[in-house]
Amino acid sequence: MTAALEVSGLNSGYGEALVLRDVALTVEPGEIFALLGKNGMGKSTLLKTVMGFIAIRGGSVRLFGDDRTGQPPHRIARSAVAYTPQEQALFQDLSVRDNLQLGLRDRSHFDEDLARIGQAFPFLPTRLAQRAGTLSGGEQKMLLVARALMARPKLMLIDEITEGMQPSVIERLAGVLRGERDRAGTAMLLIEQNVQFALAVGDRYAVLKRGEIVDRGAVGEAGAVERITEHLSV
Amino acid sequence: MATLLDIVTTAAILFAVSAGLLIVFGVMKIINFAHGGFLTVGGYSALAVTKLGWNPWFSLAFAFVIGGVCGMIIERLVVRPLYSRPLDAILATWGLGIIIGQGITLAFGREVQFVQSPVSGAVDIAGGSYSEYRLLLVGIAIVLAIVLGLALNATRLGLVTRAVIMNENLAKGLGINSGLVRFGTFSLGAGLASLAGALITPLSSVDPNMGVPWLVNAFMLVMVSGVSLVSLGVACLVLGGAQVLVSSWGNPILGGLTIVVLAALVLRFRPQGFARD
Repeated sequence: MTAALEVSGLNSGYGEALVLRDVALTVEPGEIFALLGKNGMGKSTLLKTVMGFIAIRGGSVRLFGDDRTGQPPHRIARSAVAYTPQEQALFQDLSVRDNLQLGLRDRSHFDEDLARIGQAFPFLPTRLAQRAGTLSGGEQKMLLVARALMARPKLMLIDEITEGMQPSVIERLAGVLRGERDRAGTAMLLIEQNVQFALAVGDRYAVLKRGEIVDRGAVGEAGAVERITEHLSV
Repeated sequence: MATLLDIVTTAAILFAVSAGLLIVFGVMKIINFAHGGFLTVGGYSALAVTKLGWNPWFSLAFAFVIGGVCGMIIERLVVRPLYSRPLDAILATWGLGIIIGQGITLAFGREVQFVQSPVSGAVDIAGGSYSEYRLLLVGIAIVLAIVLGLALNATRLGLVTRAVIMNENLAKGLGINSGLVRFGTFSLGAGLASLAGALITPLSSVDPNMGVPWLVNAFMLVMVSGVSLVSLGVACLVLGGAQVLVSSWGNPILGGLTIVVLAALVLRFRPQGFARD
């Protein structure tokens, strides 16, 4: 089976500084992969490099079997990839509807998808005209996930979506992501610091420390929780 | 009454001249100092139509197309390689404006020339008579504002363009080819500048430097407008109105400085200018 995402030997960084060193990971179709690590360890840089926002210094990025190394962000996004950045991820001055529309690849299924996604996030269909910037923090996060789902992606790259979220919302989000994976076979790469959420929703995990992967395995593996906790505490 | 009409028609002309500059500024975050050059291209497109003996109405479409094509070529060759260096891009457009002016001098000569107006004559309004063409310009400016407003706010292309204006990286990450949006915007801006050049030529003469004073005023108007067509309309009415009043009650030289001086004062005391916040 061809991997949804295959990163090998990846080096990248900003200016002189190398942030990622020889990073390799694969996300299989229908798999939820959690990438854990503390702040400043290169997690967001990895997603930005995969998306083509940061130049690759070495290694390769393959999506669904095709070599996408060095392609510009809009090309990557158009190969059925939905990227949800951690910061400035919404058009604050645009309406909820416009934000969702911008996630779409094909406008003809807006109503259909909104009806389906609206079941997971009931506030969305009733507040389409509201300015996205006036939603509460938690609602903005849910809008982000909804926008990503509108793209009907085969791979989702989600950067610390649970940061600052209430536990009840995190629980709902876990259900939505697993539901989407079961329904559409969507692969997901989640960047997380919330270990509990990552392990609840993920199938496999890796820990990134100072730009290198120091641990990886299946979520259910014996000793996984202890190893992750140790990596994140030191 | 004549003064009031002067204010409205002046605002309409200023709006037509500034609209393209505003849109390019919004998307590309650079002031296109070749805007005056494109305006001159439009003036000479209209002159060419006159000399060929074609219908003067045709000069509007002709100028828009010529300007747009110039914009496409220049975006590809000059502006695109400088995307990552906005300051250099601004300098390049400045130089480009000079080159366009010199090129036109070489092709058409330095002398002042005149263009045939599509309508001439005057209409009687409230006891006085007023230039029919100036009134027509008001209608054209309103149509232009409505078309641009609808294109930006009621179409998918407009939504995509606004997304690039607000957050270009986010737009790219959603699959929007912002390079293409920049190309289209720059070409549209050049076409609009050229159209404006053709619109103003029946009111004044055509010469290779005709774009310069318009560029300066348009630049100041865009600076006080933020990236909003509505604010631009308000700025054109207020500052253009002040220009008319100073010109008719003071003298035309001071009138020519009015927009620049007032815009600088507005920005000093209200940095966001006429924009809401």
